[in-house]
Amino acid sequence: MTPRILRRATVLCGALILACCAVLTFDYFQTRLRAPAEEARIAALQKEVRQDAARAAVLYAEQQRITRARDARNARTQRLKWVLIALSALFVTGAKRIIESPGAKPAPSKLPTQSSKTTRRPIPRPVAGSNGPPAVDLAFVNEVVAREGTGPEAAITILQAIQDHYRYLPEEALERVCEMTAITPAQITGAATFYGRFRRRPVGRHIVRVCHGTACHVAGAREISEQLRRDLAIPDGSDTDPERIFTLEEVACLGCCSLAPVLMVDNHASGKLTPAAAIDALDAAHPREPA
Amino acid sequence: MTRALLVLLCLLALSAPALSQAMQYERPVDTAPREKDIGGGYTTPEVQKPLPRGAWLLILDFALLGAALAASVWLTIYKRSRRAVVWLSLFSLVYFGFYREGCVCPVGSLQNVAVALTDPNYRIPILVTATFFLPLIVAALFGRAFCGGVCALGAIQEFVLIKPVRVPRRLDQALGLLKYAYLGAAIWFAIQPAASRDFLVCRFDPFVSIFRRTGFAHMYAIGAAFLIGGMFVGRPYCRYLCPYGGLLSWCARLAPRGVSITPGRELDCGLCNDACPYGAIEKMRADQAGCLYCARCYRSCPVDRKESGLIAIEEIRPA
Repeated sequence: MTPRILRRATVLCGALILACCAVLTFDYFQTRLRAPAEEARIAALQKEVRQDAARAAVLYAEQQRITRARDARNARTQRLKWVLIALSALFVTGAKRIIESPGAKPAPSKLPTQSSKTTRRPIPRPVAGSNGPPAVDLAFVNEVVAREGTGPEAAITILQAIQDHYRYLPEEALERVCEMTAITPAQITGAATFYGRFRRRPVGRHIVRVCHGTACHVAGAREISEQLRRDLAIPDGSDTDPERIFTLEEVACLGCCSLAPVLMVDNHASGKLTPAAAIDALDAAHPREPA
Repeated sequence: MTRALLVLLCLLALSAPALSQAMQYERPVDTAPREKDIGGGYTTPEVQKPLPRGAWLLILDFALLGAALAASVWLTIYKRSRRAVVWLSLFSLVYFGFYREGCVCPVGSLQNVAVALTDPNYRIPILVTATFFLPLIVAALFGRAFCGGVCALGAIQEFVLIKPVRVPRRLDQALGLLKYAYLGAAIWFAIQPAASRDFLVCRFDPFVSIFRRTGFAHMYAIGAAFLIGGMFVGRPYCRYLCPYGGLLSWCARLAPRGVSITPGRELDCGLCNDACPYGAIEKMRADQAGCLYCARCYRSCPVDRKESGLIAIEEIRPA
């Protein structure tokens, strides 16, 4: 059933419930109001019959009429009550469906406008040389090696310093380290690939960590990641957009599952995301240039 | 465990006087004029409603109550299946609610038991006594399993709950005290001398007029108000007014087993906390006294959903 039909059916059920209640209330008050007059009429007729036996037929007819009317009303009321119960069940089921459907929370009109906004972040030229690593100034490497020493035990510290400075491990810098120290290229490569924290590829200005832990996975982390990749136009097999503004990472858990799905832009976490809200979180960190 | 046993023993000791009174009783109908005395082809109209039920039907009712309690425990704390609990609630609503028209129910039976304990001239069938004690015994062992899938009054509220709002904890606790006041009042009015005796819980049962499709207009209005309020506040009658709920929550505090949320099996992520409409999860742990056995926490739990095969974990390849 499409959401629209569901919504209409639920509203219709609600309206019918109100109508049923109105009819029942009307019946109730009508009965209450009519009863005294009917009782009085019967009492008067009974008095007449006591004086004139010929009036008995009139009394009998009157009693029959009133009884039939009340029986008919009771039967209608009983039917209406069953209808009311059935309608309430339908209404509750429909309303629950509407509220629990995933499209219910963000306004449905929000997503299209978001994707149209994408044009504001320039769409990348696929093979513009910007994808290659930028030229690296190696003076810092000399400085670090001078500070940390040239023994193999300094390898990790040197790598950390290099990553802190360049925000990734440039190939040229690693080569320079090998030239200047006793550390072999095998040791460097081993350390740089063993630790997940070391990056071998240039990163964007902001690092976006999208949580893909169990809770976030269930709450739709995959949709968030996909939407961000689309919005940032990140090519397959890469994690950074061509403008090098955002680097997208999928991490195991950010430790705030109650806010699922969660992402962190640098050190700022945003939770309870929708795909649209995730884009807003990125925009807050790095506003788009006006088109 | 020993505490639970102690409570069970106390309950049994308490039930002894009630059990001793619980024998078959005969209504002295011989004194009333019979059809053959009246003569002239007179037939007695069936004016009594509800008509008395056959003994084996009463036993069937009680057996179904026991089976539903067992099912509630099994489905909630062992199977952890919200879907199954919903089906069980639906069964209870239809059978105990609409078919049996809300009688005999343990909620009201507390008054009968109270009267039987105090009035030497008042006797109740053993099945009523058993109906009163069985859910309490289950509560002392497993928590409020009766409230979850068995109680028809609970089930009707369970189904109308559409968009639960969180009641502030202070207010929740304060309103929760109302049920003990109501319990006291119900017992007080029940143990009055026979002439002025009143069964408040039954007289002001908000949903029984819906189950019977007949009743006073003001009871319909109160029932409708509870149901409309219940769309947003989870099970208001159960949490704030049900006197039997008060007894059950006392027993449930001692339960050695029950709905549990553990850091070992579940992961303390807090999703269950958001899913519980009854405020029965405190600091990520289920509060046995307030837990109404609805299994919503297990439905919201990614770990439990994974274990029951509702979701699967896919490996995420690095981009």
